[in-house]
Amino acid sequence: MKHTQIRNYLRALATHELSVGDAIPSERELCERFGVARMTVRHAVDSLVVEGILTRIQGKGTFVASPKVDLQMRLTTFEEEMARRGLRAASRMLAADVRMPPRDVADTLGLDESEKTYYLYRTRLADDEPMALEESWLPEKLFPKLYDPVPPLSIYAAITERGLAPDWGEDNIDADEASAEEADYLGIKPGRALLRVARRTFAGSIATVYSRSVYRADRYTLWVPVMAPYPTVKTADIATRQKDRTQAHR
Amino acid sequence: MAKAEKILEGLGGFDNIVEIEPCITRLRVVVVDPSQVQDAVLKAAGTFGVVRSGSAIQVVVGPEADTLAEDIEDLR
Repeated sequence: MKHTQIRNYLRALATHELSVGDAIPSERELCERFGVARMTVRHAVDSLVVEGILTRIQGKGTFVASPKVDLQMRLTTFEEEMARRGLRAASRMLAADVRMPPRDVADTLGLDESEKTYYLYRTRLADDEPMALEESWLPEKLFPKLYDPVPPLSIYAAITERGLAPDWGEDNIDADEASAEEADYLGIKPGRALLRVARRTFAGSIATVYSRSVYRADRYTLWVPVMAPYPTVKTADIATRQKDRTQAHR
Repeated sequence: MAKAEKILEGLGGFDNIVEIEPCITRLRVVVVDPSQVQDAVLKAAGTFGVVRSGSAIQVVVGPEADTLAEDIEDLR
């Protein structure tokens, strides 16, 4: 298959020889080199665009795409995750204050109506490119003087120092479109796809942090390990149980 | 064990349970009658939330989900 040969050639070129953002050879050059019709070349390029290896920019050409970062839901810090991928992490502080949390956030953290939180709003950057936006709320009563003298650079480090190292949590992930504000901070167009991650972090039975982050869908692939389920407690087949119940009601 | 008993009570007892599967931070439970599941009892047992979807109930319990499921099984 000619188009498979062209695809393999382009994949090797994109991953080994060219850099992110470099143009690939034009359709005409590829047609000449492989002695094929334009449709065959287009077919090969299309499949690499779908794979995310190449990106087409209307009126400009086809380029090597930025690789997506895999987003694994783990209790690690953004800095660690970026460092693992050879990227330089940085944060830009957008807001840091003590405030009343929204009612739903307070409920999630088990706070009553009078309890305040430390609030933090940051842009997360990898190699100077905005990757995510993150809002965090921490109960004031758990972390007195958290912002004294200045807000901590790493929440993870600051709460670990105070004896409440995160040991488990849960994420809820939704797909959504970027609002105008989010798009502005992330350097993308409003309406582009985002992954919205709401995380509740615990130290044992204490809910320590609630955060809402948005990740650029064009830069992240969510990675989830899957395994076959195995119930520990299994009473009876549901159909049997419901039949028994129906009979009992007679 | 007291916690397992309380959770079992909140789920409406063994008669109401079809299956319990511990899943990292949650007990994924299939019940016969979801109206017999009492959120307040589950909360008082020290759990962190209940997610409902028809007869599928998820109780957020944290990393001790495996242990709790075994404790519930031992109560049978």
